[in-house]
Amino acid sequence: MDSLLIPVAQALLSGVLVGGVYGLLSIGFSLAFGVMRIVNFAHGDLVMYGMYVGVVAAAFGIDPLLMIPLSFLLMAALGAAQYLLVYKRFVGRATLQQLLAAIGLGLMLQMLAQIVFGADTRSAPSMFSMQFVTIGPLFVSAAQVIACGVAVVATLLVELLLLRTRWGKAVRAVADDIETAGVVGLSAQTINITAFALACGLAGIAGTVMGTYYPTDPSKGLSLMPIAIIATTIGGLGSIRGSFLGGVFCGVVQQCTALLWSSALQDVPLYVLLLLFIAYRPTGMFGLRTE
Amino acid sequence: MATAAVVRSAAPPRRVHRIWPLVPVALIALLPVLPGVNAYILAVTVRALIFIALGQAWNVVAGIGGQLSLGHGVFLGLGCYVTGVLFNLLGISPWFGVLAGMAVATLVALVMGAMTLRIRGIFFALATVAVSLACDQLARHYVALTGGDSGLALSFVGTSFWAAQSRSPAPFVYAGLVLVVVFYWITRVILASRFGLEMRAVRDDETAAAASGVRVFRTKLLGFLASAAMTAFAGGLYMQYYQAIDPESAFGLGQAIQLQLPALIGGLGSAAGPVLGGALMTVLSELTNWGSTKFDLVGVDILVYGLVLLLVVLWAPAGIVGLLRRPRP
Repeated sequence: MDSLLIPVAQALLSGVLVGGVYGLLSIGFSLAFGVMRIVNFAHGDLVMYGMYVGVVAAAFGIDPLLMIPLSFLLMAALGAAQYLLVYKRFVGRATLQQLLAAIGLGLMLQMLAQIVFGADTRSAPSMFSMQFVTIGPLFVSAAQVIACGVAVVATLLVELLLLRTRWGKAVRAVADDIETAGVVGLSAQTINITAFALACGLAGIAGTVMGTYYPTDPSKGLSLMPIAIIATTIGGLGSIRGSFLGGVFCGVVQQCTALLWSSALQDVPLYVLLLLFIAYRPTGMFGLRTE
Repeated sequence: MATAAVVRSAAPPRRVHRIWPLVPVALIALLPVLPGVNAYILAVTVRALIFIALGQAWNVVAGIGGQLSLGHGVFLGLGCYVTGVLFNLLGISPWFGVLAGMAVATLVALVMGAMTLRIRGIFFALATVAVSLACDQLARHYVALTGGDSGLALSFVGTSFWAAQSRSPAPFVYAGLVLVVVFYWITRVILASRFGLEMRAVRDDETAAAASGVRVFRTKLLGFLASAAMTAFAGGLYMQYYQAIDPESAFGLGQAIQLQLPALIGGLGSAAGPVLGGALMTVLSELTNWGSTKFDLVGVDILVYGLVLLLVVLWAPAGIVGLLRRPRP
């Protein structure tokens, strides 16, 4: 029994660290849905671009972690452009057309990355990438600790922004009832653009910190989408806190599956969980009651 | 105005509708014996026919039923893998193997649909993504059965009716043509039936459909099952023609998106849409393949698919059929 205890504790710890970043990439996805009912299937591709920001920086000898603000701003700008060009006309209705448009957009972003950066796997090591921290018998990569720390701080800031500022209040008002929000003098358009840009900027941060311990290639974004979908569904579509915890949960399940079953099948239990949640609890643990 | 609309819809369907589909059918049927037709043209024709059949199958659930399945690669893959495994390991003829593939695909669709079609909205689409990715990981892991990452190759026995194999593409032209005609006919029958009307009612307004006495869940589920079975059947032809399948071409999201393009480009929910869209997409894909080889740009084809998808959704949601149709007053 003792022989299993340490590997399980190790898996739990790694799972939480990986999962924190999953949480960060999921809250952006969840925010866009919660406020605008937009299912941004291209969200993962912005994470991928965030990783490439780090790759480019590392190529110039700059530590990728210093690029976090730039990554946030770049992806926020890209997000605002996406919103104005494509998503604006779909606000309020998660329709088949909107999903398809997002998929088309995602494919284009992915292939542009492939044409610009090539199809090879690239990495973006930071100053912490080769360091390890030991806690008793357990050890973790310093880069993962930093990444998870950034994710937690960013998530808390988003929560504060939504709950404590006038802007956050306006976002929640628009999310609740877009017409009444207009009546009391809020510009839904401005609020939607800023909220969508924030959601995409968070994807950029998630990508840049993830890039310090996880190599990237142009298809990485798409391969992260299932995690965002599952974390958000389990946590509750539209709930920031729920999506973050959902991400942590996904990380833990992956690591435990890898330990106890097979690392090649580490996502299979997550897919089963997603189906079970959709069938029996589609609002997730903290999700919106309506819909 | 209202009277004019009623009169128009009550008028008998134009006769030209019944004649024109026969022209391309006859042309393709004669293709293998026409002078100057080389193996390349036949191969492209077979690819187009398989593409159209798969698109027509997806059109049933997504176009008529309005349920966005992003996981039809699952049914294509099951059709391919079951047919191939039964033939390779047990020597069962693909003519029976494809029926087993259809049965397995329908069963999987039943479980998926029962779990996810009760609630409305995007959950069905998200669940289909999850199921295809789960199949992808399982197919890569159970190497003994599926051949793992490199995929499953059919053991080739030479030209044989029993093994449904042929050295020349000509028999596949006929098989594909029959499949496309039958699927087109099935779609027409569904569209004209009460069931088709109910599916479209659910697609356009679930609440109103339920209020009019349509059993919403049952309608969605039956549409999904029919579409899954059709996809798996076309998957059997896919396997016999391409002789191989791998996890990425079966369950990858790229495949799932390709399966949608014929119906989306041609016109969702119409029987002619996937036929026109599939033919156009095949031409487009040949062009981009040529372009990406010539200019050494890997990925241009996918870039074009993405662009086409986006343009169609934003500016021509009714596809080619919608553009051809006279605008209503």
